[in-house]
Amino acid sequence: MALAVPAFGPANAGSKMGGTLKISHSTRIATLNVLSLSGPAEYPVIDMAYSGLTRIGPDSQPMPDLAESWEASPDATEFTFNLRQGVNFHDGTPATASDVVATYEAILNPDIPASATSVLNMIETVSATDDLTVKFKLKTPFADFPTSTAHANARILSEEALAGDLTKLDTVVNGTGPFKMENYDSARVTRLVRNDDYFIEGKPYLDAVEMHLFPDLAAETTNFLSGDIDVMLLVQQADYERISSAPNVNALRVPSGRYVNVVMRFDQPPFDDLRVREALAYSIDRQLLVDLVLEGLGRPAHDNILSPEFKFRIDTPEKAYDPEKAKKLLAEAGYPNGLKLNLVASNRPAIRAQVAIAIKQMALSAGFDINVETMPHDTYIANVWKKGKFYMAYWGMQPTEDATFNLLLTSNASYEDTGWKNKEFDDLVQAGRSTTIESERANAYSKAQELMLSELPYIIAFYEDVLTASKSKVQGYTLNPINRYFYLESVWLEE
Amino acid sequence: MPRAFRTAAGITGLGLLLIVMAAAIFGPFLAPYDPQVFHPTNRLEGPSAAHWLGTDQFGRDLLSRILNGAPSTIFFGLGATLFGVGAGSVIGVIAGTAGGWIDSIIMRILDGLLAVPELLFTLLIVTFLGGGMGQAMLAVAVAFTPGMARIARSSVLSIRTREYVLAAVARGEPSRYIILREVLPNAISPIIVESTIRVAFAIMIGATLGFLGLGAQPPSTEWGLMVAEARQFMFRNAWTVAVPGIAIAMAAMGFNLFGDALRDSLDPKRNE
Amino acid sequence: MTLGYIFRRLMAVILVLFVVTFAVFAITMILPGNAAVMILGEYGTEEAVAAMERILGLDKPWHIQYIDWLVGVLHGDFGQSLRLSLPVADVVGDAFWNSASLAITALLSVTIIAIPLGALAAIKRGSTADLIIGIFSYIGSSMPEFVTATMLLIFVAGPALGLLPAGGFIAINESLGGFTSHVILPATTLGLVLTAHISRQVRSEMSEVLSSDYIRAARLKGLSEHRVIRRHALPNSLAPAVAVISLDIGYLLGGIIVVEEIFAWPGLGRLLIYALENRDLPVIQAITLVLATVYALSNFLSDIAIAILDPRVRYA
Repeated sequence: MALAVPAFGPANAGSKMGGTLKISHSTRIATLNVLSLSGPAEYPVIDMAYSGLTRIGPDSQPMPDLAESWEASPDATEFTFNLRQGVNFHDGTPATASDVVATYEAILNPDIPASATSVLNMIETVSATDDLTVKFKLKTPFADFPTSTAHANARILSEEALAGDLTKLDTVVNGTGPFKMENYDSARVTRLVRNDDYFIEGKPYLDAVEMHLFPDLAAETTNFLSGDIDVMLLVQQADYERISSAPNVNALRVPSGRYVNVVMRFDQPPFDDLRVREALAYSIDRQLLVDLVLEGLGRPAHDNILSPEFKFRIDTPEKAYDPEKAKKLLAEAGYPNGLKLNLVASNRPAIRAQVAIAIKQMALSAGFDINVETMPHDTYIANVWKKGKFYMAYWGMQPTEDATFNLLLTSNASYEDTGWKNKEFDDLVQAGRSTTIESERANAYSKAQELMLSELPYIIAFYEDVLTASKSKVQGYTLNPINRYFYLESVWLEE
Repeated sequence: MPRAFRTAAGITGLGLLLIVMAAAIFGPFLAPYDPQVFHPTNRLEGPSAAHWLGTDQFGRDLLSRILNGAPSTIFFGLGATLFGVGAGSVIGVIAGTAGGWIDSIIMRILDGLLAVPELLFTLLIVTFLGGGMGQAMLAVAVAFTPGMARIARSSVLSIRTREYVLAAVARGEPSRYIILREVLPNAISPIIVESTIRVAFAIMIGATLGFLGLGAQPPSTEWGLMVAEARQFMFRNAWTVAVPGIAIAMAAMGFNLFGDALRDSLDPKRNE
Repeated sequence: MTLGYIFRRLMAVILVLFVVTFAVFAITMILPGNAAVMILGEYGTEEAVAAMERILGLDKPWHIQYIDWLVGVLHGDFGQSLRLSLPVADVVGDAFWNSASLAITALLSVTIIAIPLGALAAIKRGSTADLIIGIFSYIGSSMPEFVTATMLLIFVAGPALGLLPAGGFIAINESLGGFTSHVILPATTLGLVLTAHISRQVRSEMSEVLSSDYIRAARLKGLSEHRVIRRHALPNSLAPAVAVISLDIGYLLGGIIVVEEIFAWPGLGRLLIYALENRDLPVIQAITLVLATVYALSNFLSDIAIAILDPRVRYA
């Protein structure tokens, strides 16, 4: 069964060649090691410099990147990818199947830290059947495999680089992407220039892209509005209104499934009682949170981890803000005089503490006496994350339902943190990934969501929009709601 | 009232100080609203009949938050300074009066500790203790101690050679008498003056730590934290930043002016 | 002030510098998180974090890590930044020169402005000029840098006026004009409190000196007021000012942290905040060492200067 998909966008009519695009960002580009990096400003850089086998498109579906087509076996346990011909790395050496194999072996190697492992750990073997063909055999069936190969940290490195000193990957870039690294200064400006040898004809349009670091948001905003920066990578909710009303500025608001979730641990009181979890869910005014914390730049959610963008998402009943009902549920669960709790929020990003404070205030009238405890991010990761009873977590949107469920909710999820461990849920998720027949997948996933909504492992109060801004001379700029893919090869400047 | 306080500066300083101390002691009781309660329909508004100083991003009343935060901000400054000055003065007076090898050792240690700039010292301690007001206060007190010890010591040293001390020594008075009746009263005035100015410093450092996220933690109403949280809303409602910023400046200015007037009135030579 | 005394003072400082770095090291080891955790964030599985720790050398026992670092430093090798994968010496070295250009600009401007201001206020004590200088001083020394910096950014560099760039940095050897336009706001912020403090100190000390017997005698001798001030009053007033300058260098080194962060000036302050957040130990150690050394040297030099300027202390 062939699943060839047309290449993303031939050169756009009306596009102009040339110019340097200046992008400002407020977090450091600390490393260029594509296997393990996780910084928000690092993703655009590797999106420009490297290619994966596949890449997630603006429609959140996998599209060809280094592979021009792929096939799946009917039982979704074998996948064959056909690579483009004549692709070279930036240093001129050809990119072939052996580089792909070397990259995937590195990702699966337990001695090499790699962030993509959790979505690729079902790979049993990877081999090059010839110079341009790569074959994957999976341990268990997985229909969404081409989405996994599009993982932002699963980009293809050269076999040579992987055989040498791996610490070089932190500072040296040799990829097959539309832009080449010219200068990397993590304290100020990182500059990439056009790869004239890029495998998509006529692209990229830009001569160069520069990433400018501004660690202070006020300085970054002021500079964007009055200086010569063309794109502000991430806009804060508080500034969005002001920026979007400025002359010559296009502010972009991309609805996304990004969420802040309240984690309630199942295997300890008081959250082992469903009524307590439900009580908290009714103590939260979701629309108010969107208005206060997101400045209206988001959508209220009613505890479904999947946002409306997902194909197999079911309609979710609304949970109104009902402190009276919450009080009754608490009394039934044995807390007629209310419940005292400690809610942990790490200091990164700041939205965790803001939501925690708002929840604290709103849940007062329902009888919850919540103490918000903030702590440095690394202390949180070492001491609270995946262990704590009650804390705020923050996750970006994943490309598929399966990825979302397997990230956090299944019993063997890499970042499982609620102690839910529900076999029925696991089976449903497994069923969803093991077949490529749409109706069967829809069935499995809707049952899984119903189970999740009735058991309430997390409280998810809103979906946060992704916000960015560009000057009006910038054309073709858009962001993917997953916020890992930037398509800068399709951007041009209208002077 | 001592002459020194009758100047414009002295009166202003005293006035500001009284306002600030009153806020610190009575503030929380005078607040018209609960400082944590949201009034979402009135968020980010300027001054109005309902909210005299306006509201913040959650619709919380700014006047109530300022009054509520006065104790933490002011007593942080006072507490940190008290501990730092206390410990430092004792050490400095001992070094200055004892002289000899005791003085040398203490000076050696002080030099070493003074090798680390104050904010850096504070920053390191607070990063490693985790944020929080208690940790920040301890850090600031510890950072102040060596500087205060040095000042106390040099003040004692310069007094040792003054006429009235030499006269007492010539008279054959015992050392304890000399220290208590001649050295200390005259050494104390520079210490007290420096302390009041230090409180201003401590308030500012505390606010800076709150601003960096290493001092008071949300939802505390400490003034530095208020400025940090309000910075992103500065253009939409400048009052969110101006109110705590001005409050910090007023408190620091009050202590500075008061300290100077105090110095002018305590200076024995001026009062002759 | 013998050579032996100077030497012993220096040795004491060096000893304490190492005690400080050891303390920083030990405290970091107690912290629950580390650089590996910060690099991988919430996308790190236990295996990945362990692998990263092995690569960064964080799995060795802590006293071995400290000894490794110490031996390295004695050979001039400050190690590799854990977060930035660059040699610490390069990273800290660049940042040092950037901070130095800012700090020196601020200090020079302050000295040139503050001492005459203070002297003026003392000479014209009680006049309107004194009052204005006084008000400016009090307000200036009561505003924490982050308040001043934000105000300046918004009003001078904001979209309304746009007179100066809103943060950022251009090296002085790249463009003098560019450097100047970017340095004005941060240097002003840093200098405001220092100017207020120093001018007040000069004013107070000089007022005292001007009313002292020594000056009265000089006037009685028939010397011109100008000469009295320049040759007698001013030099004797400078000692406490120098003391304050040296204490204020400590304040400057602290203030630079916040100012660099707000104005995006790529110096030691900004680097320190980043290193602290990311538990990048070798960088934290190096910056602490550098800042403490600069401060100790400035204290030391100012002690000598005070001894030269103030005859009372010299003979104490």
